[in-house]
Amino acid sequence: MTEPKSEVFQGTLDLMVLKTLEAMGPLHGYGIARRIEQLSEQLLRLNEGTVYASLLRLAQKGWIRSAWGTSENNRKARFYSISAAGRRQLAREAANWERFSGVVGRILQMQGEG
Amino acid sequence: MLTAMRVLASRFLGPFRRKHFDHAMDEEFQSHLEMLVDRFASQGMTKSEALVAAKRQFGGITYIQEELRERSGLPFLESLWADARYALRQMRKSPAFTATAVLTLALGIGANTAIYSFMESILLRSLPVADPESLVVLNWHSRPAFDGSKHWAHVMHGLQGLFWPGEKRELASGIFPYPAFEALRADNPGFSTLFGYFNGQKHNLSVRGQATSASTEYVTGEYFRGLAVSPAAGRLIDSEDDRQGAAPVAVISFAASENRFGGPQNAIGQSILVDNVPFTVIGVAPPEFFGVDPAMAPDLYLPVHTNVLIDGPSAARMYGDENFYWIEMMGRLRPGVSMAQAQAALAPRFRQWVAATATTDGERARLPQLTLNPGAAGLGSLRRKYSKPLYLLLMMVGLILAIACANIANLLLARGAARRGEMAVRLSLGAGRFRVVRQLLTESVMLASFGGALGLLFAIWGVRWLTFLLSRGQENFTLHAELNWNVLGVTAALSVLCGLLFGLAPAMESTRPDVMPALKNGHAVGPRRRPQHVLVVAQIAFSFLILVAAGLFVQTLNKLHSVQLGYARENILLFSLDARQAGHRDSEITTFYTDLRNRFESIPGVNSATLSQSSIVSAGYAGKTYRGPVQIGAVTARDAGVMVVGPRFLTTMQIPLLAGREIDDHDQPGSTPVAVISERLARTYFGNENPIGRRIRFVDEKRDLEIVGVSANVRYGDLKEDESPMTVFAALTQTSPDGVTYALRTAGDPLSYVNSVREIVREADSRIPVTNVITQSGEIDRTISQEVTFAKLCTGFAVLALLIACVGLYGTMSYGVARQVGEIGIRMAMGAQRGTVVWMVLRRVLLLTAVGLAISVLAALSASRVVKSFLFETQPNDPRTLMLAAVVLLSAAILAGYAPARRASRIDPLAALRNE
Repeated sequence: MTEPKSEVFQGTLDLMVLKTLEAMGPLHGYGIARRIEQLSEQLLRLNEGTVYASLLRLAQKGWIRSAWGTSENNRKARFYSISAAGRRQLAREAANWERFSGVVGRILQMQGEG
Repeated sequence: MLTAMRVLASRFLGPFRRKHFDHAMDEEFQSHLEMLVDRFASQGMTKSEALVAAKRQFGGITYIQEELRERSGLPFLESLWADARYALRQMRKSPAFTATAVLTLALGIGANTAIYSFMESILLRSLPVADPESLVVLNWHSRPAFDGSKHWAHVMHGLQGLFWPGEKRELASGIFPYPAFEALRADNPGFSTLFGYFNGQKHNLSVRGQATSASTEYVTGEYFRGLAVSPAAGRLIDSEDDRQGAAPVAVISFAASENRFGGPQNAIGQSILVDNVPFTVIGVAPPEFFGVDPAMAPDLYLPVHTNVLIDGPSAARMYGDENFYWIEMMGRLRPGVSMAQAQAALAPRFRQWVAATATTDGERARLPQLTLNPGAAGLGSLRRKYSKPLYLLLMMVGLILAIACANIANLLLARGAARRGEMAVRLSLGAGRFRVVRQLLTESVMLASFGGALGLLFAIWGVRWLTFLLSRGQENFTLHAELNWNVLGVTAALSVLCGLLFGLAPAMESTRPDVMPALKNGHAVGPRRRPQHVLVVAQIAFSFLILVAAGLFVQTLNKLHSVQLGYARENILLFSLDARQAGHRDSEITTFYTDLRNRFESIPGVNSATLSQSSIVSAGYAGKTYRGPVQIGAVTARDAGVMVVGPRFLTTMQIPLLAGREIDDHDQPGSTPVAVISERLARTYFGNENPIGRRIRFVDEKRDLEIVGVSANVRYGDLKEDESPMTVFAALTQTSPDGVTYALRTAGDPLSYVNSVREIVREADSRIPVTNVITQSGEIDRTISQEVTFAKLCTGFAVLALLIACVGLYGTMSYGVARQVGEIGIRMAMGAQRGTVVWMVLRRVLLLTAVGLAISVLAALSASRVVKSFLFETQPNDPRTLMLAAVVLLSAAILAGYAPARRASRIDPLAALRNE
């Protein structure tokens, strides 16, 4: 099923959030937003609130779980962690990306061959 | 797929955890913001700068919150729920309006539900068997049986059973000759089974010495297998039992097994006597099973061939006679075969068979053609009897509901004016018109739903009452209307439909885009008056139709009650017995009956007693009456009604004796056969001569009878029949009767003598049950029970409709007056008299009523054909009835409009002008 255009970005953000959680372990919303900003080397300037829409989507699909806890500065915060289903989904998406970028790469190389 | 379902489930639970979700979200965002503030503060910003930067970094908080709220629940349902709660609050704020509306709707919806549940039980419900959809009934139709010279020219030489008028005045029936059944059964490619049955009427059933009258159904061997029913106990009749010479076995109904044996298990193996013939009970039918005819529920199922044991050896001829029609057939289609295919295959076979039985050209020109009809709902006699009346009643309650809805629509229109301010604010704040309309519709649908729920309660009472009315006097009333899921579903749909119907116009009206005047003025800008007037006119038109119907039915009832019977109906007790079914034989049966008559006459309080082959009302339908031609001198009369009566018949029934004597004890089996004729017969065939001493001849029986008396004319048969008062009374003692009906003229309430009667019969012969006990008045009323029901119901409907319409008229007029206070004030200040003002209001009332009448008179005249068949001696366009209905309507309208008119005339001009 092809996703409508407006949701392509949503899907990408979801993927990034999922990967972040897999790599970093349990994080709260602020931490996830921070990490994505850092990784993208300031290229991605998103409104941090949109992360929460992503988190809700992922939680509804069962790919992440949440639990309340205490942050570093002793603040009450909700921590998210990836679930087993989420890991499987990530593996699938990653494989898709690889295939996709491989194909695009080959197509782009094609130009050069004249 | 699974993920999508998981998402849906999560969203589904969302609305229930709304508060918790919102709270958690707030906390989480707050925490996030604080962490951002911390970071910016640590980078050197001031507190306030950090806060601003944090909010900017986060993005639009409200926007994100809205998005999350929407995603986490089902927004459509949640807004619907909010609308519903708001609607409830609105309803609580105006209790009078809510109560009136709900009550009116409840009456309307309840009435519709009650009638519909009857229709569902007759027209839609299937037989309680496996896969009723694959059952088909075999019928045939042919051109009318009488040829040009009124001779019977048809292959059906004799018949026992029902036929009815088909389309285009054809003859239609479901009975076939037995050889036809055998031929079709042997060779029928489309069916997996073909089985036969016929109605055995009532027989004497004796269980352990106790005798009652039991309704019987004769069935062929494949009947139960074809219907795919399992016994409640024992086994059911099969092909082995339905053979000439097989041991006589019987299956009894579940109810009978409980009544007579104390339970299905106790009945198995018991021996019973049917008309004094021993049978063994081998099985009990399941509890809901009632055979294939919804109009009757047999107590006893017997193999077809046992009718020879019960009716005598002469019945054996039925099986070989190719021209005697009596057995009915049904079949079960093979899987994959449609009814049309089966008919295409079977019809030619039948035609071939029946053509071989035709002996004359006239018969060959009128050969029956086989048709298959759906059998899922069983045989059609009940449907034929009740479907038209029920449709008519449904139309009327539909009109009442329409009137009620129009009323509520008008009320809502008026109320809408008061809420214009509220609507204007909403619209200007950005609510889509559709959204506001949706909210208003939610209010009206909720109102209608409450009306529907209350209406169900009314429907329960209505069904009970209607069942009582329709079944009055009938012994075996099999109509069981119930509020099952189908009916409930229809009620729910009807409620929603009503809510949408009466809510739409007011909703559209009060959300009209020109909101500015409302916002500016602050007070109500009224709705346009036209829709209200249209609705009032519609209500008046519908009410008129119902009034006319009521008038016509009441007139019909009056005409029926005033039919000249020719005998006195008061204080007569009727009851029937059948001594032959209990075992009496020709040699002494007449003595037995005569002896009983003498004993009945000697009961204190009984003025006289008599008996006859059937009561006067059921003459022609029941009993073994002579129906052939009567030869009087050189003329042969074909339409004389023959009543076979015992001694003192004329005295007991108080039929005046005009000449000679009546049939009495002198007329014995051995003496001269005598007859008494009615006055019209005497005048028609004997003119002014004295008929006494002359002879008439029953041609088919080859009997000559001597006329010994002339009676006054008697209304023979059903009240509604056309005149046939040419009656011949023959002596019972000079025939060989089967069952008879006794008539006792009593001093005082006839029913108080029933116990004495039962005692006497029990003493004389305990094997004979006394059946069909009823008073003569009761029997007459039973034949017109449908007309009585209609008259009562329609009068009630008319009153209801008029009440609702007048309340509506009153409301509309009141509202109009209230809105026109200023104008009236000015007029009065300028010198208008009170009378003029009253006339001003009443004029509008009269105008609306006149328009309504005009429209509905046209409608009534054009719809008159619909009710024609329900009337008796009354024309559907009866001018008197129309006039009366119009006058009633006009008076009611004026009455309804008078109070507002008076209020208008009481307006204080000064106060009115001050308010303007």
